[in-house]
Amino acid sequence: MNRAKGVVLFALCFVFGRKQSSGKERYLILITNNPKFQSDPEPRCDTEYIAGSYRDVLILVRDRIHQGHRLLSHPLSGSVKPNETPYKSILISKNTGGLDMDSLQIIEDSISTCDKFMQNPIKYGHNNQDALLADFSEVDYRLIVAAIASASR
Amino acid sequence: MKLELGNIFIHDIQFDDLSRVENGVLYINEEELREHLLEDENISSVSFDIAKPGESVRIMPVKDVIEPRVKVEGRGGVFPGVISKVDTVGSGRTNVLKGAAVVTTGTIVGFQEGIIDMSGPGADYTPFSKLNNLVVICEPVEGLKQHAHEKAVRFAGLKAAAYLGRLAKDLEADEVESFETPSLIESFRQYPDLPRVAYVQMLQTQGLLHDTYVYGVDMKQSITTMLYPTELMDGAIISGNCVSACDKNTTYHHLNNPVIRDLYARHGKELNFVGMIITNENVYLADKERSSDWSAKLAEFLGVDGVIISQEGFGNPDTDLIMNCKKIEAKGIKTVIITDEYAGRDGASQSLADADISANAVVTGGNANMVVNLPPMEKVIGHVKLADTIAGGFDGSLQPDGSIVVELQAITGATNELGFNRLSAR
Repeated sequence: MNRAKGVVLFALCFVFGRKQSSGKERYLILITNNPKFQSDPEPRCDTEYIAGSYRDVLILVRDRIHQGHRLLSHPLSGSVKPNETPYKSILISKNTGGLDMDSLQIIEDSISTCDKFMQNPIKYGHNNQDALLADFSEVDYRLIVAAIASASR
Repeated sequence: MKLELGNIFIHDIQFDDLSRVENGVLYINEEELREHLLEDENISSVSFDIAKPGESVRIMPVKDVIEPRVKVEGRGGVFPGVISKVDTVGSGRTNVLKGAAVVTTGTIVGFQEGIIDMSGPGADYTPFSKLNNLVVICEPVEGLKQHAHEKAVRFAGLKAAAYLGRLAKDLEADEVESFETPSLIESFRQYPDLPRVAYVQMLQTQGLLHDTYVYGVDMKQSITTMLYPTELMDGAIISGNCVSACDKNTTYHHLNNPVIRDLYARHGKELNFVGMIITNENVYLADKERSSDWSAKLAEFLGVDGVIISQEGFGNPDTDLIMNCKKIEAKGIKTVIITDEYAGRDGASQSLADADISANAVVTGGNANMVVNLPPMEKVIGHVKLADTIAGGFDGSLQPDGSIVVELQAITGATNELGFNRLSAR
């Protein structure tokens, strides 16, 4: 590629870079109970919102894995314990195939871990609850947006 | 690559009209440093405090801890790609203000942990209680989003540490340590009969408030790669990590990584420490597969007999840890993993979120769910308001007398997975 073409291509990427995507998002389904995804246009992938608990999200993802979807992001994303944050967002594949044992193993381990923490579920936010919820929501949101960026590379 | 560390021992910090180091005392001109940090338009105010070992002082919430250093000889400057221009560091001479640290505090998110008690039982759990700490308290401009706030406080800490480090530029060191990693072929020639060992360091890279930077590059966007261990001693790796105080690696940890130091101490005697691999802990599962594939591939390429793998954080990174362990063992290379545990308050539950039979040599930094009682302190530095959040905020409660019942997770460095801890079960 000569220099002029390179400069033009770079400029086009710069102009359209934010709007363009690889299109790989359409192969993803986001399962979430984080209300931030209801009000935000990002990410541009199918989103299944449930008005449930952190554990409810894990269980729904497990059910989808039994139906042949693959797990694409780690269910325990974020160094925030399941008995602290109420929000969880997980990516799975849109297409289905045979039961993926690796996905099943990870989601089952994650449910066990969640249950372990919930045995003693003293929760955050007796004071200042709204501010904490907004922060938990923001961190969960940002982590999954970073994962979608990885998926879109 | 060879690096000498010139340690200048600091036994006190004081505010004064002129910033300087004299007779082991670090004097700081507050106004000059404040002006320097306020150059960042995202910071509305900066104040400072000093916390010394043994004082009845609590610092919270701690974001990062940074050791002041300065390049005296050799290429580049400290914190390359961030504070200094990009250049390969890790060779020549670096002076260190040993015994001093910059501690940054700022409430970036409401649930943020990070307690350093300078005395009492809490002090035993954090190595930073033994340092003379300059605490930098940054307030953001109105409406600054969390990710920009994190960055502003991260840079303020690094700039403060670099400012203090420059005071040591022309000083004579009290002690000089030397660390050297020759080329692979040279080390094999030197020690043909010693077992070859590499270090695999996992870096926290999940996203917002969970990031690590290598030469200024966000490590979650990198594939697994290699560094000379001495590059870390010049600040090639810095922390952008705000959560899970007990097992996150602060920048101080990276500068003083004890796995690297212990491997160097045994190099040429019991083993041949050939170098280190750095890898990430991303949320996206395909990234985990790719990065752990590369860890195993690079370990094989280095021709090592064994590796030490250290983790950062918990939960999601447990999966990366086990992937690295399994894949490296599958190459016929022995592994020892360093982790910590979330085994419930009684310690009886499963410790990790993942496991494998190949993870048969494990070192633990401790149980982060263990509950400790931190007695009241006469002074709290940082965001005192956070005590209100801690009342219900942490997995415990603020007692009427001002003491805090809290899990070890809240104490900075308490179960560090590099083994940078003061307590052990030995």
